[in-house]
Amino acid sequence: MVKEVFFFTEMGYTAYPQDDARRHGYNNLMFPNEHFRPERARELYAMYFDELLYCTETGFDGVMINEHHNNPLSMMPSVNVIGAVLARTTRKGKIVFLGNVLPIHENPLRVAEEVAMIDILSGGRVVCGFVRGLGQESLATNVNPVYNRERFDEAHNVIIAAWTRPGPFRWEGRHFEYRVVNPWMKPLQKPHPAIWIPGVVSPESVRWAAEHKYPYVALAPPLHVIDEIYDLYDEVAQRAGYTPTSEQRGYAIRVCVADTDEEAYEQGRHFFWQLGTSFGIAPKHWLQPPGYVSREAKASRREQIRVGAVNITPGGPPLSYEEAHATYQIVSGNPDTVIRKLQHIIDVVDPGYMILWGREGLMSHEVAIRGIDLMTQEVIPAIKAYRADREQGRRRLASTG
Amino acid sequence: MTETDGAFTETFVEAAGLRIQLRRGGDGPPLLVLHGELGVPGWLDAYAQLARHFTVYVPSLPGFGQSSRPDWIASVRDLAAWVSWFVRDLKLGQPLPVIGFSLGGWVAAEIAIVNPGIFSKLVLVGPAGVAPADGQIWDYFLHSTKEAFAQAFADPATAKEYARFYGEGWTPEDDRQAEWNREMAARLIWKPYMRSHTLAALLGGLATPTLVVWGRQDAIIPVSVCDRYVRAIPGAISRVLDRCGHLPEMERPDEFVQTVREFLLPHA
Repeated sequence: MVKEVFFFTEMGYTAYPQDDARRHGYNNLMFPNEHFRPERARELYAMYFDELLYCTETGFDGVMINEHHNNPLSMMPSVNVIGAVLARTTRKGKIVFLGNVLPIHENPLRVAEEVAMIDILSGGRVVCGFVRGLGQESLATNVNPVYNRERFDEAHNVIIAAWTRPGPFRWEGRHFEYRVVNPWMKPLQKPHPAIWIPGVVSPESVRWAAEHKYPYVALAPPLHVIDEIYDLYDEVAQRAGYTPTSEQRGYAIRVCVADTDEEAYEQGRHFFWQLGTSFGIAPKHWLQPPGYVSREAKASRREQIRVGAVNITPGGPPLSYEEAHATYQIVSGNPDTVIRKLQHIIDVVDPGYMILWGREGLMSHEVAIRGIDLMTQEVIPAIKAYRADREQGRRRLASTG
Repeated sequence: MTETDGAFTETFVEAAGLRIQLRRGGDGPPLLVLHGELGVPGWLDAYAQLARHFTVYVPSLPGFGQSSRPDWIASVRDLAAWVSWFVRDLKLGQPLPVIGFSLGGWVAAEIAIVNPGIFSKLVLVGPAGVAPADGQIWDYFLHSTKEAFAQAFADPATAKEYARFYGEGWTPEDDRQAEWNREMAARLIWKPYMRSHTLAALLGGLATPTLVVWGRQDAIIPVSVCDRYVRAIPGAISRVLDRCGHLPEMERPDEFVQTVREFLLPHA
């Protein structure tokens, strides 16, 4: 059963000149920041925060936030700052961090302190996700991508230890070293906020999440690779001695709901606002700087299936708007249409949590609010009431591709 | 595995605890070659020419090519220690001359600083390790490997060795190997990038006769660094090659070999 439904937007900085990005051949990392106008960013922030507040007041179980650097894709270069603002401007609903980019921090204790602060400020509403970041995150912060996964693991261990082991204690790891781990600020939720691991179906991340019994949140992958993700999760979980339930499965999906199918289809094009893509354009060696993807991972069958899949997640081949619909990376329509499509996804995935990535690009505030209303009034009640039939989902997936 | 084309052999040797891909050719006294951050693509024309005078040893350094990659080699100093053990374990006879290219030049200098007895002469070719006074070292890690190869030549279109190793015959396997080499380079030189904060000071203690070679059109490490190297090393001499980029051994093999011969074999 879908237990909770969250709202997400990348908070795009939509005011940059796309023609200029086209000339460069990329629109992030080294795309000149002379195109950034703080006055415009202030207006956009006001709109996005109003929408997020509205979501929490009208029927979403919370909102998801994330972090990207040097990138007009997102106005959230610090997930913790965004989370802190939401902690005091919203009154209810979870704040789902997906997540803190662990490897880029030289001092992960700071992350432990900040998330603890936000958990207290929000009254225990934090869900704490951890991510490796896009390749550009490593380049923008100049942290060696070769050690990305090692740093992810160790920073995670530092943070969990800081939250759960009585201080003071010493930490001497390979990448982090502390004379004194003894943060005064600890989370309100005990032993700590729930940890979720979002991803674009990298097998290593799926495996890691399953080993730690952390829910894995698939970020809008093509629906037909989903078996690969959760079958792997299930295999690893069984070896670790537990049987996953829907509580270990999250699913994020681009959704555009409007009063008619036709209008929703047109408005949904805003998800492809970045030079006709969803995540923007970058050369492969930025998405995969040296060592960021291990040789073993590159050679694995699952990784090849993932990379080969038509995919609008970062690093995949370009995908047309029409194909994105066909592969369920975006769903659009009137509420009934969207409910039917989401029920198909629920049949395949049986997620405990769904994240509706509900507005993007130059979509107007009015259209976004109408979409939110249709989601909270019609879509969310229907998908929460729906019982997944995984057998049927897989049969239909097999027959339709 | 052994490949012989008359000029060289390619074997795997156990050296200093690691399995190492070693290309070797010629006879005569030993000459050690330490490749740069791009790895070594094969038996270069320059090596073949040098093999008329020396037994030329070109190991793929740990983590590069098909040599094994231990986790513990994570810095230039670690690599320098390993190279000195390699010389010892292969019983190459000390002191012997060494040619170090770019990253390999930095490694050779680091070894000679702490072990003055190991090398008879140093040839440092576009060595990394010292920052330019003005300008910047080109950033490999913001560019693709293919862009890097092109950047490393003054004129890739006319360089025979470029065509031979990076041209039309380039395969997906070559690409994977280049990416593997690039990952090893990231382990060694990510930050501080291609430079050391202490090397310029340490070079003042070098007691080994040193030739510094640079391509005038070097677009990876600007030729201005040549002067900094020469001023830092007591008694060092330099030679700057025209119409030449970061890889003189591949772009100007004849002039390069002649320059090296004049330095290593002045009486021949």
